[in-house]
Amino acid sequence: MRVPLGWLAEWIDLPASRDELMERLTLGGLEIEDVIRSGPELAGVVVGKVVECGPHPNADRLSLCRVDPGDGEPVEVVCGAPNVAAGQKIAFAPTGTRLPDGSKLKRSKIRGVVSNGMICSTRELGLGDDHEGILVLDPGAAPGTPLVEVLPGSEPVLDLEITPNRGDWASLLGIAREVRAHFGGALRLPPLEPEEAGAAAADAVAVRVEDAEGCPHYVARIVRGVRVGPSPDWLAGKLEAAGQRPINNIVDVTNLVRLELGQPLHAFDLASLRGAEIRVRAAAPGEKLVTLDGQTRELQADDLVIADAERPVAVAGVMGGAETEVCEGTRDVLIESAHFHPTRVRRTARRLGLHSEASYRFERGIDPEGVARAADRAALLLAELAGGEVAPGRVEARGDALPHSDEVRLDPARVNRLLGTDLAPDAVAELLERADFAVRRDGAELVARSPSYRHDVTASHDLVEEVGRIHGYDRIPTTLPVVALAPVERPLRQRLVERARTSLADQGLMECITFPFGGPADWERLGLAADDPRRRGVRLHNPLVEDEALLRTSLVPSLVRTAQQNLDRQVDRVRLFEVGPVFLAGGGEEGLPAEPLHVAGIVTRGDKPGLWEPRDRIPLFFLAKGVAERVLFDLGYAGWCRPADEETAEPYQHPGAANRIGVGDQVIGSVGELHPEAARRFGVEAACAVFELDLYALARLPRRAPAFREVSRQPSARRDLAVLVDRERSAGEIVDAIAKTAGDALAGAEIFDRYEGAGVPEGQVSLAFRLVFQRGDRALKDEEVAKLTDRVVKMLAHRFGGQLR
Amino acid sequence: MSELESLEALESEAREAIAGADGVQQLVEVRARYLGRKGSVAAYLRGVGKLAPEARGPAGQAANAAKQRIEDWVAARRAELERDATGRSLAEHRYDTSLPGAGAPHGRLHPLTWVLRDAVEFFSALGFSVEEGPEVETDWNNFGALNFPDDHPARDVQDTFFVEGGHVLRTHTSPVQVRTMTGRTPPFRFIAPGRVYRYDNDATHAPMFHQVEGFLVDDRTTFADLKGVLYAFARHMFGADTELRFRAHFFPFTEPSAEIDFSWPGGWLEWGGCGMIHPHVLANCGIDPDRWQGWAFGMGLDRTAMQRFGIPHIRHLFEGDVRVLEQV
Repeated sequence: MRVPLGWLAEWIDLPASRDELMERLTLGGLEIEDVIRSGPELAGVVVGKVVECGPHPNADRLSLCRVDPGDGEPVEVVCGAPNVAAGQKIAFAPTGTRLPDGSKLKRSKIRGVVSNGMICSTRELGLGDDHEGILVLDPGAAPGTPLVEVLPGSEPVLDLEITPNRGDWASLLGIAREVRAHFGGALRLPPLEPEEAGAAAADAVAVRVEDAEGCPHYVARIVRGVRVGPSPDWLAGKLEAAGQRPINNIVDVTNLVRLELGQPLHAFDLASLRGAEIRVRAAAPGEKLVTLDGQTRELQADDLVIADAERPVAVAGVMGGAETEVCEGTRDVLIESAHFHPTRVRRTARRLGLHSEASYRFERGIDPEGVARAADRAALLLAELAGGEVAPGRVEARGDALPHSDEVRLDPARVNRLLGTDLAPDAVAELLERADFAVRRDGAELVARSPSYRHDVTASHDLVEEVGRIHGYDRIPTTLPVVALAPVERPLRQRLVERARTSLADQGLMECITFPFGGPADWERLGLAADDPRRRGVRLHNPLVEDEALLRTSLVPSLVRTAQQNLDRQVDRVRLFEVGPVFLAGGGEEGLPAEPLHVAGIVTRGDKPGLWEPRDRIPLFFLAKGVAERVLFDLGYAGWCRPADEETAEPYQHPGAANRIGVGDQVIGSVGELHPEAARRFGVEAACAVFELDLYALARLPRRAPAFREVSRQPSARRDLAVLVDRERSAGEIVDAIAKTAGDALAGAEIFDRYEGAGVPEGQVSLAFRLVFQRGDRALKDEEVAKLTDRVVKMLAHRFGGQLR
Repeated sequence: MSELESLEALESEAREAIAGADGVQQLVEVRARYLGRKGSVAAYLRGVGKLAPEARGPAGQAANAAKQRIEDWVAARRAELERDATGRSLAEHRYDTSLPGAGAPHGRLHPLTWVLRDAVEFFSALGFSVEEGPEVETDWNNFGALNFPDDHPARDVQDTFFVEGGHVLRTHTSPVQVRTMTGRTPPFRFIAPGRVYRYDNDATHAPMFHQVEGFLVDDRTTFADLKGVLYAFARHMFGADTELRFRAHFFPFTEPSAEIDFSWPGGWLEWGGCGMIHPHVLANCGIDPDRWQGWAFGMGLDRTAMQRFGIPHIRHLFEGDVRVLEQV
């Protein structure tokens, strides 16, 4: 809602300070989105001062001026106007300004001299036709000030955002009342009573309400003998300042009255109504109507229409019909002012996708006592501006009872109990009265009746809000609650999430957050099997873009994309992670999806290894695996990473470089290098490895239980074994077998070297294991260690074909 | 006499050997040669035992004195050698210490994680527990229970992503109020940080953003308390001189309702919404509104993070641009 301040001042005296006005309106709930200026768009044009003015060296009729645009650094400007003179304040458009005709001002040479802008005439500014000379401004104007602020006829306009509960604010009258609530004063209403002449309106038309719920009140006024034409400047100017396009005097009057009083009106060409009849009825299913915007609308039984004797002529409260529109030849006009049911209007407007100024106000509820007044006001203006004659009387019909305001009781102590204020009952009553409530006392209680235009006050807490609002939230004290102590709970899974984040950031990954939207294309890129449950994404009815209509079921696609975008920006060595939910259809309560929280990461290789980056020489897979293992450890789990094969690897991971990750016998994620085909489908050229873990699945599993084990005081014996085995053999399997063979005396076995190449036969690999023997109860004898080692060597030869090197 | 002579010879030989030792290890060996259990001095002492009884005393004393002298020379030489080693190390051991350290590469937490943790820490200290709720919500939890009538313009304000099955992507964190309050008896206080969604993707909005919901219900808390807690929170997040502005507003689920702006050098920036929990909402959650009262707020964490880290545009938070993330 745009409210020109000058127009508002016609309705009520405004406080001297505009800042104070804006402050109180803002704090009271009228959000001022912007203060704009009426008049043409003149962004960039500023007040300039002509510092010097002399003849152009190469042209008799041109002047060469030096203009100060406000920054104290005058620029040279060529000017062709005869009336330019030193000392003048003028409208200056610097190079680069877009002028009202749409052209952009370029730096140009005029007869050999560079002109750094233009001193404007009124025509160049779109302010008039005078091209004879430049526009000379008030000598008091300060250079550098935007021109719109000093132009006569340009005034500040408040662009207000109106909350859905206050439809009554969508009018000058409503805003004027709000000003009165804060600052006092008396409203000045415009003339409302037309002079009437000629045959009675009731002779011209009959009105019937057939849908009583849809239309509690309908008023028609007849104005005969109008002449359709352009509106006078004052009217067109007001509409433009309020952001409305003038159309013709008849339509403009209906728009003006809607802006003034908040009551939507519609004007019909009386002659085009068939059967001299207005029927307000439910639409017949399938009935069609061409609306003012030229669209054919198919109606449903719930839609409320205005019809004549034969056909619908308007969608009630939403938009009029084209066939009965006021046009150039219209002589007699029927003005409709009505109260339509908010929900009925809203449903129809929504279904038709047709949100109009009228439907906006009807949906929010209009003042039931303002219906007749608006019809009168419009008739009066039509007679005045279009030369018509107002037919005596209103033609009215009624449906269900109009909404009316009940009395609401309020214990003034309740106000203080909720707000934390210390307001006396009288003060509470006075605040309500300022907001136009009729207040009376009943013992200790107040009884308030809300004004007819307020539909949002039905209970005592509504009154409490009104008291707080008018009193000002800034005047409510600031205290801290006095509460009983209670233990603060932090569930395990919340702690796990934060630990996972810390672990990953500590390991050198950067956290990113991406939108959870995706689509089937992502499942294709991942290469998910047809029956993979992750293909059952949850669908959005209104996605931002059609190919992102599903909620993600894996964090991997967006993470891969984000990594690639960084590589595209020439970021070397991308290491990213994200923690976020995935959405699995039908897995939650009440038909909601399950939303397990996942953590995923991606690491890519840098172009060249850094100085201190031995990590860069480790295969990517093991970097990613190390990160995943560390996360499990940091979260307190004794987890495992086991080799995956073609069967068990994620389809988007390279089966030769992939692990499944688990705890106990449950798989909770995976790690692997990106499959070459998946990489191609994602358009990723750099090698990268990804991992993804289900944190909520983890949270349900047992964590490492710390249990004290006596530390052995006995000496330990170390034996290193290097064995040649077939290169397909897995080291993990061999370590497990060693542990089993060596028994209790083995305190640890680990692989410390893997080598293939010179000195190792083709197809084989040398694996070196370190075995540590130790017992808790006694020292091991050399012979015992030798026997155990020998047993291991024999086992390696027997089970793995291993030969000692 | 001959023994004494040989002791002198032994001593001077040892003295030479000690002086000639040019490493600590060598010195240890030299010491063992003369002073060890099988060393020369021990052998000499064994010889003393064979002397006539009257000669044993003086010879033994002489031997012990010589032993002590050798011990002193060893100690002196040892100190000398260590001094030399230190001097060599200081002279020769030189790195280009301007080279970078060799720790793990530096990762980063997301700016939102920082402010989220900060908010949780602040409210935990005030005794608020953290609650969660799903991002795909039922219509009832997101709207109905929060006093949004069906077919009411209040729903238009919340540009909603609709999800199959009649659900929505939650448009605010307030559904967690419904989930948390239902089945509980006041007094209680909770916060609920999380992602929320609006059908919006223009220059200043993202379709997803973050809020922290907070609510407290007991039998006495007031709007003044709400102001006090939010002032303390704002000053924790933005600095001790932060001012707040409470503008009257309309939310179906609170009454009175306010929008909150925080001060920054350029003026006011919108931070979130708050108010006294609407009696209908309490009743919808099975809490008697005649007995209990409470307040709730939902503050924008994205705006908080942007303000704290000087990030000019919300899209920077969701683009995963490493060059931006590494500035945090």
